[in-house]
Amino acid sequence: MAGRAAEARGGAGGEPLGSLDALVKALRVLPGVGPRAAQRMALHLLQHDRDGARALAGALERAVEAVHHCERCNTFTEGAVCALCRSGRRDAALLCVVETPADLMMVENTQAYSGLYYVLMGRLSPLEGIGPREIRLDRLLKRALDGDVREVILATNFTHEGEATAHYVGELLAARGLKVSRLARGVPVGGELEYVDSGTLAQALRERRPIAA
Amino acid sequence: MARRDVDRHDERAAFVLHAWPYKETSLIVEAFAEIDGRVAMVARGAKRPRSELHGVLQAFQPVSLSWSGAGELKTLIRAEWRGGMPLPGGSALLCGFYLNELVLKLLPREDPHPRLYAAYRDALAGLAGGAAQAPVLRRFEVALLAELGYAMQLSVDADTGAPLDPDARYHYAFDRGARRRAPSPGVRWPEVRGATLIALASGRFDDASTAAEAKRLMRDVIDHHLESRTIQSRKVVRDLQTLEEDSIE
Repeated sequence: MAGRAAEARGGAGGEPLGSLDALVKALRVLPGVGPRAAQRMALHLLQHDRDGARALAGALERAVEAVHHCERCNTFTEGAVCALCRSGRRDAALLCVVETPADLMMVENTQAYSGLYYVLMGRLSPLEGIGPREIRLDRLLKRALDGDVREVILATNFTHEGEATAHYVGELLAARGLKVSRLARGVPVGGELEYVDSGTLAQALRERRPIAA
Repeated sequence: MARRDVDRHDERAAFVLHAWPYKETSLIVEAFAEIDGRVAMVARGAKRPRSELHGVLQAFQPVSLSWSGAGELKTLIRAEWRGGMPLPGGSALLCGFYLNELVLKLLPREDPHPRLYAAYRDALAGLAGGAAQAPVLRRFEVALLAELGYAMQLSVDADTGAPLDPDARYHYAFDRGARRRAPSPGVRWPEVRGATLIALASGRFDDASTAAEAKRLMRDVIDHHLESRTIQSRKVVRDLQTLEEDSIE
Protein backbone atom coordinates (compact mmCIF):
# COMPACT_ATOMS: atom_id res chain seq x y z
CA MET A 1 0.00 0.00 0.00
CA ALA A 2 2.87 2.32 0.83
CA GLY A 3 4.35 1.48 -2.54
CA ARG A 4 1.26 2.55 -4.38
CA ALA A 5 0.91 5.70 -2.28
CA ALA A 6 4.52 6.63 -2.96
CA GLU A 7 4.09 6.03 -6.66
CA ALA A 8 0.97 8.10 -6.80
CA ARG A 9 2.61 11.01 -5.04
CA GLY A 10 6.16 10.60 -6.34
CA GLY A 11 5.90 11.59 -9.98
CA ALA A 12 3.89 14.63 -10.97
CA GLY A 13 2.57 12.77 -13.97
CA GLY A 14 1.93 9.57 -11.99
CA GLU A 15 5.34 8.28 -13.06
CA PRO A 16 6.37 5.23 -10.97
CA LEU A 17 9.55 5.89 -8.95
CA GLY A 18 11.25 2.57 -8.40
CA SER A 19 14.09 3.91 -6.22
CA LEU A 20 11.75 5.78 -3.88
CA ASP A 21 9.62 2.67 -3.52
CA ALA A 22 12.69 0.58 -2.74
CA LEU A 23 13.82 3.12 -0.11
CA VAL A 24 10.41 3.09 1.62
CA LYS A 25 10.50 -0.69 1.65
CA ALA A 26 14.07 -0.76 3.01
CA LEU A 27 13.24 1.64 5.88
CA ARG A 28 10.54 -0.72 7.08
CA VAL A 29 13.17 -3.13 8.40
CA LEU A 30 13.51 -0.76 11.38
CA PRO A 31 11.53 -1.75 14.49
CA GLY A 32 8.32 0.22 14.92
CA VAL A 33 8.45 1.70 11.41
CA GLY A 34 5.28 1.06 9.46
CA PRO A 35 4.42 2.05 5.89
CA ARG A 36 3.44 5.64 6.74
CA ALA A 37 6.49 6.39 8.89
CA ALA A 38 8.77 4.85 6.24
CA GLN A 39 7.27 7.04 3.55
CA ARG A 40 7.65 10.16 5.72
CA MET A 41 11.31 9.35 6.40
CA ALA A 42 12.07 8.68 2.74
CA LEU A 43 10.43 11.90 1.54
CA HIS A 44 12.17 13.91 4.27
CA LEU A 45 15.61 12.57 3.36
CA LEU A 46 15.16 13.20 -0.34
CA GLN A 47 13.53 16.61 -0.02
CA HIS A 48 15.31 18.22 2.96
CA ASP A 49 18.46 16.35 3.84
CA ARG A 50 20.33 14.71 1.00
CA ASP A 51 23.67 15.09 2.83
CA GLY A 52 22.19 13.39 5.87
CA ALA A 53 20.92 10.62 3.64
CA ARG A 54 24.43 10.06 2.19
CA ALA A 55 25.95 10.07 5.69
CA LEU A 56 23.34 7.54 6.86
CA ALA A 57 23.99 5.28 3.89
CA GLY A 58 27.76 5.42 4.49
CA ALA A 59 27.49 4.82 8.23
CA LEU A 60 25.22 1.81 7.67
CA GLU A 61 27.53 0.38 5.06
CA ARG A 62 30.62 0.75 7.29
CA ALA A 63 28.91 -0.59 10.43
CA VAL A 64 27.58 -3.66 8.65
CA GLU A 65 31.09 -4.39 7.34
CA ALA A 66 33.02 -3.65 10.54
CA VAL A 67 30.85 -4.72 13.47
CA HIS A 68 30.66 -8.36 14.43
CA HIS A 69 30.53 -10.56 17.52
CA CYS A 70 33.41 -10.77 20.00
CA GLU A 71 35.02 -14.22 19.93
CA ARG A 72 35.07 -14.33 23.73
CA CYS A 73 31.88 -12.66 24.97
CA ASN A 74 29.71 -12.49 21.84
CA THR A 75 28.94 -8.75 22.22
CA PHE A 76 29.39 -6.32 19.32
CA THR A 77 32.95 -5.32 18.54
CA GLU A 78 35.07 -4.17 15.60
CA GLY A 79 38.07 -6.34 16.40
CA ALA A 80 38.18 -10.08 16.94
CA VAL A 81 38.01 -9.61 20.74
CA CYS A 82 36.31 -6.63 22.44
CA ALA A 83 38.12 -4.12 24.69
CA LEU A 84 36.51 -5.45 27.86
CA CYS A 85 37.63 -9.02 27.18
CA ARG A 86 41.16 -7.78 26.29
CA SER A 87 41.49 -5.73 29.48
CA GLY A 88 43.91 -7.29 31.92
CA ARG A 89 42.20 -5.66 34.89
CA ARG A 90 39.10 -7.84 34.96
CA ASP A 91 38.67 -10.93 37.12
CA ALA A 92 38.72 -13.89 34.70
CA ALA A 93 37.26 -16.21 37.37
CA LEU A 94 33.86 -14.46 37.18
CA LEU A 95 31.56 -14.65 34.16
CA CYS A 96 28.27 -12.73 34.06
CA VAL A 97 25.68 -13.94 31.51
CA VAL A 98 23.32 -11.27 30.13
CA GLU A 99 20.76 -11.21 27.32
CA THR A 100 21.82 -8.08 25.41
CA PRO A 101 24.65 -5.53 25.07
CA ALA A 102 22.30 -3.01 26.75
CA ASP A 103 22.11 -5.30 29.79
CA LEU A 104 25.91 -5.53 29.83
CA MET A 105 26.11 -1.72 29.95
CA MET A 106 23.62 -1.60 32.82
CA VAL A 107 25.72 -4.05 34.87
CA GLU A 108 28.86 -2.04 34.03
CA ASN A 109 27.16 1.15 35.22
CA THR A 110 26.77 -0.35 38.69
CA GLN A 111 30.59 -0.31 39.08
CA ALA A 112 29.97 -3.25 41.38
CA TYR A 113 31.26 -5.95 39.07
CA SER A 114 34.85 -6.66 38.09
CA GLY A 115 34.51 -9.91 36.14
CA LEU A 116 33.93 -10.68 32.47
CA TYR A 117 30.70 -11.13 30.49
CA TYR A 118 28.95 -13.35 28.03
CA VAL A 119 26.18 -11.78 25.94
CA LEU A 120 23.59 -14.29 24.71
CA MET A 121 22.07 -11.89 22.15
CA GLY A 122 18.67 -13.35 23.02
CA ARG A 123 16.99 -15.78 25.37
CA LEU A 124 15.14 -19.07 25.15
CA SER A 125 11.62 -18.38 23.90
CA PRO A 126 9.82 -21.66 23.26
CA LEU A 127 6.68 -20.02 21.88
CA GLU A 128 8.74 -18.25 19.26
CA GLY A 129 10.75 -21.36 18.46
CA ILE A 130 13.94 -19.86 19.92
CA GLY A 131 15.87 -22.69 21.54
CA PRO A 132 19.46 -23.47 22.53
CA ARG A 133 20.47 -23.87 18.89
CA GLU A 134 19.17 -20.42 17.93
CA ILE A 135 21.02 -18.61 20.73
CA ARG A 136 24.10 -20.84 20.37
CA LEU A 137 24.23 -22.07 23.98
CA ASP A 138 27.08 -24.40 22.97
CA ARG A 139 29.33 -21.33 22.52
CA LEU A 140 28.51 -20.12 26.05
CA LEU A 141 29.33 -23.56 27.45
CA LYS A 142 32.67 -23.56 25.66
CA ARG A 143 33.46 -20.07 26.97
CA ALA A 144 32.45 -20.87 30.57
CA LEU A 145 34.48 -24.08 30.58
CA ASP A 146 37.74 -22.44 29.51
CA GLY A 147 39.40 -23.38 32.82
CA ASP A 148 39.70 -19.82 34.21
CA VAL A 149 36.03 -19.28 35.08
CA ARG A 150 35.11 -20.33 38.65
CA GLU A 151 31.70 -18.73 39.05
CA VAL A 152 28.98 -17.92 36.52
CA ILE A 153 26.47 -15.23 37.45
CA LEU A 154 23.18 -15.55 35.57
CA ALA A 155 21.84 -12.06 34.94
CA THR A 156 19.17 -12.82 32.35
CA ASN A 157 15.87 -10.95 32.69
CA PHE A 158 13.27 -11.85 35.30
CA THR A 159 10.72 -12.71 32.65
CA HIS A 160 9.64 -16.33 32.25
CA GLU A 161 11.87 -16.58 29.17
CA GLY A 162 14.85 -15.18 31.08
CA GLU A 163 14.14 -17.50 34.01
CA ALA A 164 13.95 -20.56 31.75
CA THR A 165 17.24 -19.52 30.14
CA ALA A 166 18.90 -19.09 33.55
CA HIS A 167 17.56 -22.46 34.70
CA TYR A 168 18.94 -24.42 31.75
CA VAL A 169 22.27 -22.62 31.53
CA GLY A 170 22.64 -23.09 35.30
CA GLU A 171 21.93 -26.83 35.10
CA LEU A 172 24.34 -27.34 32.22
CA LEU A 173 27.17 -25.51 33.97
CA ALA A 174 26.55 -26.89 37.45
CA ALA A 175 26.72 -30.41 35.95
CA ARG A 176 30.27 -29.52 34.88
CA GLY A 177 31.28 -28.51 38.39
CA LEU A 178 31.06 -24.72 38.03
CA LYS A 179 29.64 -22.54 40.80
CA VAL A 180 26.49 -20.91 39.43
CA SER A 181 24.55 -18.03 40.95
CA ARG A 182 21.46 -16.08 39.93
CA LEU A 183 20.95 -12.35 40.34
CA ALA A 184 18.82 -11.69 43.45
CA ARG A 185 15.42 -10.08 43.06
CA GLY A 186 13.03 -8.30 45.36
CA VAL A 187 12.14 -4.90 46.71
CA PRO A 188 14.18 -2.16 44.96
CA VAL A 189 16.74 -0.02 46.79
CA GLY A 190 14.90 2.78 48.56
CA GLY A 191 11.64 0.91 47.93
CA GLU A 192 8.75 1.45 50.29
CA LEU A 193 6.48 -1.55 50.60
CA GLU A 194 3.43 0.66 50.17
CA TYR A 195 4.48 1.37 46.57
CA VAL A 196 5.96 -1.98 45.51
CA ASP A 197 3.86 -4.00 43.07
CA SER A 198 2.21 -7.14 44.48
CA GLY A 199 4.00 -9.59 42.17
CA THR A 200 7.42 -8.35 43.29
CA LEU A 201 6.43 -8.35 46.94
CA ALA A 202 4.99 -11.89 46.67
CA GLN A 203 8.23 -13.14 45.11
CA ALA A 204 10.32 -11.30 47.73
CA LEU A 205 8.35 -13.10 50.45
CA ARG A 206 8.87 -16.49 48.81
CA GLU A 207 12.58 -15.82 48.36
CA ARG A 208 13.12 -14.24 51.80
CA ARG A 209 16.49 -14.96 53.39
CA PRO A 210 17.46 -15.65 56.99
CA ILE A 211 19.43 -13.00 58.84
CA ALA A 212 22.58 -14.39 60.39
CA ALA A 213 22.81 -13.80 64.13
CA MET B 1 -27.80 0.00 24.65
CA ALA B 2 -24.84 2.10 23.64
CA ARG B 3 -22.28 0.26 21.54
CA ARG B 4 -19.44 1.00 23.93
CA ASP B 5 -21.23 -0.82 26.74
CA VAL B 6 -21.55 -3.99 24.70
CA ASP B 7 -17.87 -3.99 23.75
CA ARG B 8 -16.54 -3.30 27.19
CA HIS B 9 -15.45 -6.12 29.49
CA ASP B 10 -14.57 -5.30 33.08
CA GLU B 11 -12.29 -7.12 35.49
CA ARG B 12 -12.28 -10.52 33.85
CA ALA B 13 -10.23 -13.27 35.47
CA ALA B 14 -7.55 -14.30 32.99
CA PHE B 15 -4.06 -15.61 32.32
CA VAL B 16 -1.66 -14.02 29.86
CA LEU B 17 -0.56 -16.65 27.33
CA HIS B 18 2.05 -14.59 25.49
CA ALA B 19 2.88 -10.99 24.66
CA TRP B 20 4.48 -9.73 21.47
CA PRO B 21 6.14 -6.31 21.10
CA TYR B 22 3.95 -3.91 19.13
CA LYS B 23 5.26 -0.60 17.83
CA GLU B 24 7.74 1.27 19.98
CA THR B 25 6.18 1.05 23.43
CA SER B 26 3.21 -1.33 23.26
CA LEU B 27 2.49 -5.02 23.48
CA ILE B 28 -0.04 -7.30 21.86
CA VAL B 29 -1.25 -9.56 24.63
CA GLU B 30 -2.86 -12.93 24.00
CA ALA B 31 -4.91 -13.79 27.08
CA PHE B 32 -7.08 -16.70 28.14
CA ALA B 33 -10.05 -15.31 30.06
CA GLU B 34 -12.33 -17.42 32.20
CA ILE B 35 -15.61 -16.20 30.70
CA ASP B 36 -14.54 -14.95 27.28
CA GLY B 37 -11.98 -17.51 26.11
CA ARG B 38 -8.92 -16.49 24.13
CA VAL B 39 -8.74 -12.72 23.54
CA ALA B 40 -6.05 -10.57 21.90
CA MET B 41 -5.55 -6.96 22.98
CA VAL B 42 -3.16 -4.06 22.60
CA ALA B 43 -1.55 -2.92 25.86
CA ARG B 44 -0.53 0.67 25.10
CA GLY B 45 2.67 1.86 26.74
CA ALA B 46 3.28 -1.53 28.37
CA LYS B 47 6.89 -1.54 27.15
CA ARG B 48 7.74 1.86 28.63
CA PRO B 49 10.55 1.54 31.21
CA ARG B 50 8.41 2.54 34.18
CA SER B 51 5.14 0.94 33.10
CA GLU B 52 3.26 -0.69 35.96
CA LEU B 53 2.14 -3.35 33.50
CA HIS B 54 5.59 -5.05 33.40
CA GLY B 55 4.95 -7.24 36.41
CA VAL B 56 1.28 -7.77 35.68
CA LEU B 57 1.31 -8.88 32.03
CA GLN B 58 3.41 -11.97 32.72
CA ALA B 59 2.25 -15.49 31.97
CA PHE B 60 1.34 -18.17 34.55
CA GLN B 61 -0.17 -15.86 37.17
CA PRO B 62 -3.86 -14.99 37.61
CA VAL B 63 -4.65 -11.44 36.53
CA SER B 64 -7.77 -9.39 36.10
CA LEU B 65 -8.13 -7.64 32.74
CA SER B 66 -10.50 -4.95 31.51
CA TRP B 67 -10.74 -4.27 27.79
CA SER B 68 -12.93 -2.77 25.12
CA GLY B 69 -13.29 -2.98 21.37
CA ALA B 70 -15.48 -4.67 18.79
CA GLY B 71 -12.81 -5.98 16.41
CA GLU B 72 -10.56 -8.97 16.77
CA LEU B 73 -7.88 -6.88 18.48
CA LYS B 74 -9.19 -5.25 21.68
CA THR B 75 -7.69 -2.42 23.70
CA LEU B 76 -6.54 -3.18 27.22
CA ILE B 77 -7.93 -0.64 29.68
CA ARG B 78 -6.65 -1.98 32.96
CA ALA B 79 -4.69 -4.97 34.25
CA GLU B 80 -4.36 -6.01 37.85
CA TRP B 81 -2.36 -8.69 39.56
CA ARG B 82 -4.49 -11.25 41.37
CA GLY B 83 -1.74 -13.62 42.37
CA GLY B 84 -2.03 -16.11 45.14
CA MET B 85 -0.48 -18.84 42.99
CA PRO B 86 3.17 -19.89 43.09
CA LEU B 87 4.93 -19.61 39.72
CA PRO B 88 6.31 -22.68 37.96
CA GLY B 89 10.10 -22.71 37.97
CA GLY B 90 12.87 -24.66 36.28
CA SER B 91 11.77 -27.37 33.87
CA ALA B 92 8.11 -26.83 34.87
CA LEU B 93 8.39 -23.47 33.10
CA LEU B 94 8.98 -25.28 29.81
CA CYS B 95 5.80 -27.33 30.43
CA GLY B 96 3.97 -24.04 31.05
CA PHE B 97 5.16 -22.63 27.72
CA TYR B 98 3.91 -25.82 26.05
CA LEU B 99 0.43 -25.46 27.63
CA ASN B 100 0.29 -21.86 26.45
CA GLU B 101 1.29 -22.79 22.93
CA LEU B 102 -1.41 -25.49 22.80
CA VAL B 103 -4.08 -23.01 23.88
CA LEU B 104 -2.78 -20.35 21.46
CA LYS B 105 -2.72 -22.68 18.47
CA LEU B 106 -5.81 -24.81 19.08
CA LEU B 107 -8.37 -22.59 20.79
CA PRO B 108 -10.27 -20.28 18.42
CA ARG B 109 -10.54 -16.64 19.52
CA GLU B 110 -13.47 -15.48 21.66
CA ASP B 111 -14.96 -18.89 22.19
CA PRO B 112 -15.88 -19.24 25.89
CA HIS B 113 -14.39 -22.30 27.62
CA PRO B 114 -14.75 -21.90 31.39
CA ARG B 115 -14.18 -25.62 32.02
CA LEU B 116 -10.95 -25.58 30.04
CA TYR B 117 -9.91 -22.46 31.97
CA ALA B 118 -10.34 -24.43 35.21
CA ALA B 119 -8.32 -27.32 33.75
CA TYR B 120 -5.60 -24.84 32.71
CA ARG B 121 -5.49 -23.30 36.19
CA ASP B 122 -5.29 -26.76 37.78
CA ALA B 123 -2.49 -27.79 35.40
CA LEU B 124 -0.47 -24.65 36.25
CA ALA B 125 -1.01 -25.17 39.97
CA GLY B 126 0.19 -28.77 39.57
CA LEU B 127 3.31 -27.69 37.68
CA ALA B 128 4.10 -24.92 40.17
CA GLY B 129 3.51 -27.27 43.09
CA GLY B 130 6.07 -29.76 41.81
CA ALA B 131 3.63 -32.48 40.64
CA ALA B 132 4.93 -35.09 38.17
CA GLN B 133 4.87 -33.16 34.89
CA ALA B 134 3.85 -35.78 32.31
CA PRO B 135 0.46 -36.71 33.86
CA VAL B 136 -0.39 -33.00 34.26
CA LEU B 137 0.33 -32.41 30.57
CA ARG B 138 -1.59 -35.51 29.39
CA ARG B 139 -4.67 -34.61 31.47
CA PHE B 140 -4.66 -31.10 30.03
CA GLU B 141 -4.24 -32.37 26.45
CA VAL B 142 -7.23 -34.74 26.87
CA ALA B 143 -9.35 -31.95 28.43
CA LEU B 144 -8.37 -29.50 25.66
CA LEU B 145 -9.36 -31.87 22.86
CA ALA B 146 -12.66 -32.71 24.59
CA GLU B 147 -13.48 -29.00 24.97
CA LEU B 148 -12.72 -28.35 21.33
CA GLY B 149 -15.17 -31.04 20.26
CA TYR B 150 -12.46 -33.60 19.39
CA ALA B 151 -13.08 -35.75 22.50
CA MET B 152 -11.05 -38.95 22.37
CA GLN B 153 -12.81 -42.28 22.64
CA LEU B 154 -10.88 -43.88 25.50
CA SER B 155 -13.19 -46.54 26.92
CA VAL B 156 -14.62 -48.71 24.16
CA ASP B 157 -13.67 -50.33 20.86
CA ALA B 158 -14.95 -47.95 18.18
CA ASP B 159 -16.24 -50.80 15.98
CA THR B 160 -17.79 -53.22 18.47
CA GLY B 161 -18.58 -50.98 21.45
CA ALA B 162 -16.92 -53.56 23.73
CA PRO B 163 -14.82 -52.23 26.63
CA LEU B 164 -11.13 -51.82 25.75
CA ASP B 165 -8.92 -54.81 26.54
CA PRO B 166 -5.84 -53.51 28.40
CA ASP B 167 -3.62 -56.21 26.86
CA ALA B 168 -4.82 -55.83 23.26
CA ARG B 169 -3.17 -53.60 20.66
CA TYR B 170 -5.34 -51.09 18.83
CA HIS B 171 -5.00 -48.68 15.96
CA TYR B 172 -6.15 -45.22 16.97
CA ALA B 173 -8.27 -43.72 14.19
CA PHE B 174 -8.22 -39.96 14.79
CA ASP B 175 -11.88 -39.35 13.98
CA ARG B 176 -13.36 -42.59 15.42
CA GLY B 177 -11.24 -44.02 18.21
CA ALA B 178 -9.56 -47.36 18.92
CA ARG B 179 -10.04 -50.11 16.33
CA ARG B 180 -8.64 -53.62 16.06
CA ARG B 181 -8.30 -53.58 12.31
CA ALA B 182 -5.40 -51.96 10.53
CA PRO B 183 -6.07 -48.84 8.44
CA SER B 184 -6.23 -49.05 4.66
CA PRO B 185 -2.93 -48.52 2.87
CA GLY B 186 -1.74 -44.90 2.91
CA VAL B 187 -3.61 -44.05 6.11
CA ARG B 188 -1.57 -43.81 9.31
CA TRP B 189 -3.24 -44.55 12.64
CA PRO B 190 -0.92 -44.74 15.64
CA GLU B 191 -0.70 -48.12 17.33
CA VAL B 192 -1.42 -48.21 21.04
CA ARG B 193 -2.10 -50.68 23.85
CA GLY B 194 -5.54 -50.76 25.45
CA ALA B 195 -3.89 -50.10 28.82
CA THR B 196 -2.49 -46.79 27.56
CA LEU B 197 -5.93 -45.57 26.40
CA ILE B 198 -7.44 -46.58 29.75
CA ALA B 199 -4.62 -44.70 31.55
CA LEU B 200 -5.34 -41.58 29.45
CA ALA B 201 -9.02 -41.78 30.42
CA SER B 202 -8.16 -41.91 34.13
CA GLY B 203 -5.19 -39.50 33.98
CA ARG B 204 -3.05 -41.98 35.92
CA PHE B 205 0.05 -43.59 34.45
CA ASP B 206 1.45 -46.42 36.50
CA ASP B 207 4.56 -47.33 34.55
CA ALA B 208 7.10 -45.61 32.32
CA SER B 209 6.19 -47.48 29.13
CA THR B 210 2.51 -46.49 29.44
CA ALA B 211 3.50 -42.87 30.07
CA ALA B 212 5.84 -42.89 27.06
CA GLU B 213 3.21 -44.45 24.79
CA ALA B 214 0.59 -41.97 26.00
CA LYS B 215 2.94 -39.09 25.18
CA ARG B 216 3.55 -40.42 21.64
CA LEU B 217 -0.17 -40.99 21.00
CA MET B 218 -1.14 -37.50 22.22
CA ARG B 219 1.56 -35.95 20.05
CA ASP B 220 0.14 -37.72 16.98
CA VAL B 221 -3.46 -36.79 17.84
CA ILE B 222 -2.58 -33.14 18.49
CA ASP B 223 -0.51 -32.95 15.30
CA HIS B 224 -3.51 -34.34 13.41
CA HIS B 225 -5.70 -31.49 14.71
CA LEU B 226 -3.01 -28.85 14.14
CA GLU B 227 -2.89 -29.90 10.49
CA SER B 228 0.29 -28.42 9.07
CA ARG B 229 1.21 -26.16 12.01
CA THR B 230 3.84 -27.25 14.52
CA ILE B 231 4.30 -26.87 18.26
CA GLN B 232 7.57 -24.97 18.54
CA SER B 233 8.14 -25.52 22.26
CA ARG B 234 8.48 -29.28 21.60
CA LYS B 235 11.48 -28.65 19.37
CA VAL B 236 13.06 -26.38 22.00
CA VAL B 237 12.63 -29.08 24.67
CA ARG B 238 14.19 -31.67 22.33
CA ASP B 239 17.18 -29.44 21.59
CA LEU B 240 17.71 -28.78 25.30
CA GLN B 241 17.66 -32.50 26.04
CA THR B 242 20.24 -33.13 23.30
CA LEU B 243 22.47 -30.41 24.74
CA GLU B 244 22.17 -31.87 28.24
CA GLU B 245 23.05 -35.36 27.03
CA ASP B 246 26.00 -34.06 25.00
CA SER B 247 27.40 -32.12 27.91
CA ILE B 248 27.22 -35.05 30.32
CA GLU B 249 29.12 -37.38 27.97
